[in-house]
Amino acid sequence: MTMQQRRMMHKVILVAAMILAACFYIYPVFLMFMNSVKPFGEIVSDAIAFPTQMAWENYSYVIDKIDYFKLFANNVIITVTGIVGIVAFSSIAAYILDRRKNRYSRIAYTIIITPMLIPFQTIMITLLKSMNVLHLSGSKLGLGVQYWGFGIPMATFIFYNFMKTIPKEIDESAVIDGASTFRTFRSIIFPLLKSVTVTVIVLDVMWIWNDFLLPLLMVNSSNETKTLVLAAYTFVGQMNTKWHYAMTAMVLAVVPSILIFIFLQKYIVDGVVAGAVKG
Amino acid sequence: MKPKSGKSKKWKEYMESVLFTVPAMLLVTVMMYIPFIMSGYYSLTEWNGIAKEPVFIGLDNFKNIFTGGSEYMGAVWFTVKYTIGFVIFANVISLLLAVALTQKFKFVNVFRGIFFIPYIMSMTIVGFIWKFIFTQGFAKLYEVTGWAFWNESWLGSPELAFYSVVFVGIWQALGFYIVLYIAGLQAVPADVLEAATVDGAGKIQRFFKVTLPLLGPSFTTCIFMSLTNSLKVFDIILALTKGGPGGATYSATLQIYRDAFTNNQYGMGSAESMVYFVFVLVVTQLVLKIFSSREVDL
Repeated sequence: MTMQQRRMMHKVILVAAMILAACFYIYPVFLMFMNSVKPFGEIVSDAIAFPTQMAWENYSYVIDKIDYFKLFANNVIITVTGIVGIVAFSSIAAYILDRRKNRYSRIAYTIIITPMLIPFQTIMITLLKSMNVLHLSGSKLGLGVQYWGFGIPMATFIFYNFMKTIPKEIDESAVIDGASTFRTFRSIIFPLLKSVTVTVIVLDVMWIWNDFLLPLLMVNSSNETKTLVLAAYTFVGQMNTKWHYAMTAMVLAVVPSILIFIFLQKYIVDGVVAGAVKG
Repeated sequence: MKPKSGKSKKWKEYMESVLFTVPAMLLVTVMMYIPFIMSGYYSLTEWNGIAKEPVFIGLDNFKNIFTGGSEYMGAVWFTVKYTIGFVIFANVISLLLAVALTQKFKFVNVFRGIFFIPYIMSMTIVGFIWKFIFTQGFAKLYEVTGWAFWNESWLGSPELAFYSVVFVGIWQALGFYIVLYIAGLQAVPADVLEAATVDGAGKIQRFFKVTLPLLGPSFTTCIFMSLTNSLKVFDIILALTKGGPGGATYSATLQIYRDAFTNNQYGMGSAESMVYFVFVLVVTQLVLKIFSSREVDL
């Protein structure tokens, strides 16, 4: 065998192995989709075969039962509220902390980023109590606002590290032109933060959209405020052995994430890598 | 623009620093510091959440935890085992797949995407999918093949349930570590690898002697991330086993949740959460120190 033939063969083996590995790996997801369109009898008698008849009525039943579009809207409201606050408050804090180096800014920086060391489960019991006092529990906007507090430490840390790479001369020239500090930040600095803002948004959307424990504590009492994952969790619990409806609810809960991932794969992967390396 | 005296300009700058950081400081204080301090206080009390006032009992909760009067140390031990299994296997498997996925072949991005999909799905849903597979799917596979493997009680026996939980945890998160290792592998400079080839290093030698040492920062990141994520394990277990069978798969976080919100022992739950905080802090800082001191620079 020539060198070239051998190399070719290695490649064929590698690709074949990868195809096999990828099929095995994604099979559980595929199985979920497949079983969501099976009628009850088929899912019980054979969980792994292809459906022989399509039970699309599973979808209309579950969409109606869990009020899917309302849940979807809830998720959007909570996630958007969370993201807007995290990005706004973190970026502006990081800006001033980097530009004004004095004793105050050093203390403030420490206060803002230290909570990264506190695991959520350490504070969840008393958080519920204090959020009840502040009337931030039991409401979608209230939950969104809570994410500000949990997202700010990490986001400020990421923005702060990036801010160092933006030359100070840029804002100095804006100040000479008569722009206020806030104006300089809003119209000149913030647009330059685009790449790192995308990183923060990707990380926080993935976190908030799929978050389970905080919504479970805060908005689980009413169907009006539930999130997608939370409703799917409750629904699957109630369905017990009615796996066809459970599967459908699970598919409905994850389909938005999968679709977004397929369209924005590059941004999401880049954001996740950047976030992990910087964080 | 009106010329300003040095002092008032400085004052204005100082006020701006305060003004722009106050929202962030206020929010982390309300959401994190105040609950944290409250947890510290409640950990010294006995309180069922209904009575008006918690009763101060000093360090009794902690004594209970460390002398076996509560089930918390069992849950911590489970978390330690889970973490060791998760960190080792998630890193080894994802590094292998990352090496394969940095070779040049068609549709390599599609493959990378496939391995990433479980990571973008809710962990709760992932737990349910696997619960279905372990029960319904395996039952059918046993019917077809007759192999005893499929007939084991993967969620029903305490020992096997542990492996099932670790396996599902890794399956969900693998894609995350794969993309981190891919980024690390692509950052290994091509000229260093070429120099090694010129010096007569084979493929395998090149990987172990050049690529692997230069992956130091990726190792640190991945080990640290896998460590913090596995110490927090919660959603997957809740969906997959609910802590069962017989409490065999309660993690440190799930146990806090159970004692506080199911058993209404808010004081005990707070004490556990404090123990958990110190435990996570010590473990992560220790591991971070060990790994970052071993990185190789070019």
